Amino acid sequence: MSARWLLRRLLLIGYTLLVVSLLVFAITQVLPADAAVTLLGENATPDALAAVRVQLGLNDPVWLQYAHWLGGLLHGDFGTSMRSGQPVLPVMLTALSRSLLLAVLSIGLMLAVAVPLGVLAALRRGGAIDLLAGLVAYLGVSLPEFVTATLLLILFADMLHWLPATGYVPLAENPADSLRHLVLPVVTVSLILVAHVSRMMRSETIDVLHSDYARAARLKGLSPATVLFRHVLRNALLPVVTIVALDVGYLLGGIIVVEEIFAIPGIGRQLIVAIQNRDLPSIQAGALVMAATYAVANFLADVAYAVLDRRIRYD
Amino acid sequence: MILQIDDYSLDYATRAGPRRVLDGVSLSIAAGEVLGLVGESGSGKTSLAWAIMRALPGNARESGGAIRLAGQDLRGLGGAALRAIRGKRIGMVFQDPATSLNPTLTLGRQLTEVLERHQGLSRADAWRAGTCLLARVELRDPAAMMRRYPHEVSGGEKQRVVIATAFACRPELILFDEPTTALDVITGARILDLFARLRRETGVAGLYISHDLSLVARVADRVAVLEQGRIVEEAPPARLFTAPRDAYTRRLITAVPHPDRRLVEDAPGGAALLDLRGITVRYGRAGLFARRRPAAVRGVSLEVRAGEILGLVGESGSGKSSIARAATGLAAFQGSLALDGRPVAAMDRAYRRAVQIVFQHPDSSLNPRHSVAQLLARPLRLYGGDLAEIPRLLEQVRLPADYARRYPHQLSGGEKQRVAIARAFAARPRLVICDEITAALDVSVQAAVIELLLELRRAHGTAYLFITHDLNLVRQIVHRIAVMRAGELVDLLPAAALPTARTHPYTRELMDACPAPIG
Repeated sequence: MSARWLLRRLLLIGYTLLVVSLLVFAITQVLPADAAVTLLGENATPDALAAVRVQLGLNDPVWLQYAHWLGGLLHGDFGTSMRSGQPVLPVMLTALSRSLLLAVLSIGLMLAVAVPLGVLAALRRGGAIDLLAGLVAYLGVSLPEFVTATLLLILFADMLHWLPATGYVPLAENPADSLRHLVLPVVTVSLILVAHVSRMMRSETIDVLHSDYARAARLKGLSPATVLFRHVLRNALLPVVTIVALDVGYLLGGIIVVEEIFAIPGIGRQLIVAIQNRDLPSIQAGALVMAATYAVANFLADVAYAVLDRRIRYD
Repeated sequence: MILQIDDYSLDYATRAGPRRVLDGVSLSIAAGEVLGLVGESGSGKTSLAWAIMRALPGNARESGGAIRLAGQDLRGLGGAALRAIRGKRIGMVFQDPATSLNPTLTLGRQLTEVLERHQGLSRADAWRAGTCLLARVELRDPAAMMRRYPHEVSGGEKQRVVIATAFACRPELILFDEPTTALDVITGARILDLFARLRRETGVAGLYISHDLSLVARVADRVAVLEQGRIVEEAPPARLFTAPRDAYTRRLITAVPHPDRRLVEDAPGGAALLDLRGITVRYGRAGLFARRRPAAVRGVSLEVRAGEILGLVGESGSGKSSIARAATGLAAFQGSLALDGRPVAAMDRAYRRAVQIVFQHPDSSLNPRHSVAQLLARPLRLYGGDLAEIPRLLEQVRLPADYARRYPHQLSGGEKQRVAIARAFAARPRLVICDEITAALDVSVQAAVIELLLELRRAHGTAYLFITHDLNLVRQIVHRIAVMRAGELVDLLPAAALPTARTHPYTRELMDACPAPIG
């Protein structure tokens, strides 16, 4: 990994975000929402509406509006909410941090379950663990998240009373309570992702176990455990990195449903509220923040790739 | 005896029932002795190596016999006992060093792990010992080599690391499974020299498995010939190759190309059919950030005369195939082409019809979803032929007419290549480019395909541009030889002049590396 590559990759992220900003702006332009009406309400006088339009620059040509907006973004000014009058960026970032906590915990739990599950299934191909892992995977991937969430809620919150049903407690305020509230959402999200990753891990492990170099390692007299941990795992993990990066994309979308069910004020919920309120600056900021998260996740996946596989040289 | 195999039989369980792979095989290797095991694909030679290593696939069924290492039957041993033997008392060198080394570990790590495992060395001691081992296999700068990853070194260097690993724990026996097949001729020859030296120094016994008889003649004290799981003859190479007793051995030996056995006697002369002038081929584009890769072919000029067979030789990466790709319009190039003295501006239908190509791997050049009839119908339709010609085309390449209904997967490797040849000839070409068309075939099949090509040439007067790395084969059939190295043409001379003419040093090196002809 050279500095040149890092620079190029960061430039690429910038370029991606520029394109996204253009798309986001274009979409919010064609939305049937009049910012002046949103701001003043349905009963405002035409004169007042006209005055606000002038003030917001809504009578300017579209490209000039975009340039103004983009110029603001570059200065960290994402606009103010039409509902609260507060700057939208801090609101969105706070919401994002809550979603990220949920996402990171989910990915962590998922990896802790899916990788060993996939490897075990590969080692005992056709055995009980393999069949069970396959069953869990297909159930996880075929049940929509609201079904999984509802089932978990009924079982652990309603019937057993082990865990709180909904709500969000900031981590800094009361870590134990915060995590208790996060258990069910995290399990819901990771259950879906386990399917992708454990299946991928299984087939990759099987492939690598059959590779010439794994066989060569066995014929050196190495123990099965050494062959597995030294020669097989690292190579089998490579494609999984790609899947996890793609899953981040799914998470950003799928997490909206989960946040809604468990009443977590994350980025998904914030975006839904913004859309319901036709709060254009909030919608724009939310969409951009999500796109940026996705771009960064892919960047991290590339870096992880280079660390795992020395053949990949970014220069 | 270091290795003694007695009446060993092996079957693979398949859906169609058990398939016999090895049938009553008996052989023995004394201390310091190298036994060559030759056989064509499917003869069971690699299965025998897996059987000795006790690393057979799950569907293998052993039906009898014993495999003894220094008197101890390996078949009765369990996992731990076997792991103490593998890598320590039996080393193995694999066919393709590119796939037998782990891409994510350094070469040093892959070498030192056997020393740590079997000699109980500490990490640091093993590293020092490994560096010495790499020096012994004649790798330059062994300390740096230890830290490199497989993708950072050449194929020959990788194979030297594999050999160092096999010799690391001073084994009694080393199994070589086609160790030079995946390497260039020159690199392979140097690997064989290295093996001969290590053998003198260590006195290790070896089982050398290969499909290449002339190669085995060079390394083995005795040679066993395996035909469909049975050893049909075993003798010292000098006796085996001069006075073979078994009919199959005789057939194999006569199939091996011998430069003195010329198969083409005529001398077509005169007019150039295809004239390549200053051909330069570059792949890839210069990206916004990336520099462009160096040219695969640089300013090569050569002509193929009407009815001539021109051999194009050189090691992999020398640009041979790029010439073929340029001449058929598959690769963009700079320079000019002329057919019959007329410049070819754009590759039109007449040119494409006149210049046809047959590729190395029929598996990837024949559409698996098309029947043979469909495969042959396309050029016939394209170039105004008659679909009724299909049986005649098949007959021409000596395939039964009912093969028209078959699909590629129902054919053997040689049969597939015949279909590819029939497809090229369906266009009634003036020149057929043969790009390593026999490289993936067994010697006996190769001999039959070559015979077929020569017969077709007699019937149609077709010229060939014959691309290969096998110098012995090329000297049997071509009129002139062109030698390429690193994208440039270094020699172009009549085949008959090759042994005596003043040639480029590289051509000399190529000839020296080429296994001495047998028979």
